[in-house]
Formats: sequence, C-alpha cells, structure tokens
Amino acid sequence: MPNVQTRFFGDLEYESEALFRFPSGLPGFEDRRNFVFLKKPGLEPMMFLQSLDTRSLCFILLPVRAIDENFQLELTHDEVREIGLPAGRTPVIGEDILCAALICASEGICAGEGDVPTANLMAPVVVNLHNNIGMQVIRAESSYSHRHPVLPAEAHSPC
Amino acid sequence: MLIMWRRAGESFIAGDAEILVLDARADRVKLGITAPESCVIVRREARITEQQNISAALSADASTIETLLRRFSG
Repeated sequence: MPNVQTRFFGDLEYESEALFRFPSGLPGFEDRRNFVFLKKPGLEPMMFLQSLDTRSLCFILLPVRAIDENFQLELTHDEVREIGLPAGRTPVIGEDILCAALICASEGICAGEGDVPTANLMAPVVVNLHNNIGMQVIRAESSYSHRHPVLPAEAHSPC
Repeated sequence: MLIMWRRAGESFIAGDAEILVLDARADRVKLGITAPESCVIVRREARITEQQNISAALSADASTIETLLRRFSG
C-alpha cells in the first residue's frame, strides 16, 4: 500500500479509496491537487485533509451537518460537471458526496469570540464519493458565514 | 464609500483599471474589466476563502484538535 507522511499521525499507509483529487486545488493552495482524507477513532466527527505532497499541509474539517444539521447545499451546473456528478439529480450528502467545512482555530488569527473555533460554511469542501474528485464550493450570496462558530450540539439544547 | 449610478454601456476608471457595465438586470450586473496584468482582480468571496484557507492551514495543530474534541465530547 502507498505511504503518506502526515502532519499529525506520522507515516501512514492508505487505501486508494482514501485518495482524493482536487483538479483546481483549494484557493491559496492551488498547486496541491492530491489529498488523503483521514479519520481517526476517538476524533470523530473530525476529518483531516492531508496533502500528499506537503506533509505540513493538513486541514481539519467537520462535516457540515455536524455543525448545522439543516445545512443545505446547492451546486451549479459547472460545479456538478467539475466533480463529475450526474446532471439533473440532487446529490445526497453522505451517499453521493462528502460535504465538510474547513476549521480555523488559533486565537487572534481566525477564531471567533472567546477563542471559539470557526468553520467556513460559505465555502465547503465537496467531494464526489463515486470518483474521489473534489473542489471547494464558494458561494457569493451565501446565507452561511465564513466564520461560523463551532459550538457543540449540546449548547443549543435547553438543558 | 463612493457611490455612483451607471447604465449598461457606461464605465468608470479605478486607478489603472476601467470597469464597464456590460449588462444590468434586476438582480445582477455583468462587468467588463480592463486592467494591467499587475492588477489582481478576484471575486470578494474567493479572496475571503483564500485567506480563510491559509488561516485554517496555519491554525491546524494539536491544540485545535483538543479544543474540537472537548466541544464534541460534550
């Protein structure tokens, strides 16, 4: 099995199903196209998007529905085409696509008030689970914030 | 903030760039921008995302994982 040097978990072997291609890269990192999605027991629902080429580049993500269970995603025709989804059918999150938000956390850099980590729900990472091709979907008129505070679900319940 | 009215076909100059209103509809406008190559033109949301991605990459560390773990383990 191929091997990847990871930022947090040392050297890991990975299955080819864990390898994802981002033909356009991610804004700010356009030349990094190959990533491995990592999940670790005990760290879920967190996911890690580790660059195959650059060990130090590893994003922390959360599934959008772990942050907002009612999160709605609409893809344009161009986006559907870019990641190779069938046209004219709404992809199902968790079945056809993975949809996750990048997390920002350092105090002073990007965290919210009281050092609360924030998630970029304005521009989630979307990957086609059928062909492992992904992109970051950027919304201009998003009702979702690029600095959405990440609070545990318990914080919203009355007790 | 400088505010001006323009019709389709009219333009304005910002620094070395000329911005022409090609089409104006109820909910959006189509712009044509002529500028030197050195002038970086990017949609606002793309620039925000780029900055957020860089911050996300810089702030991804063990303490962030710990913080998130605490939040989701209740």
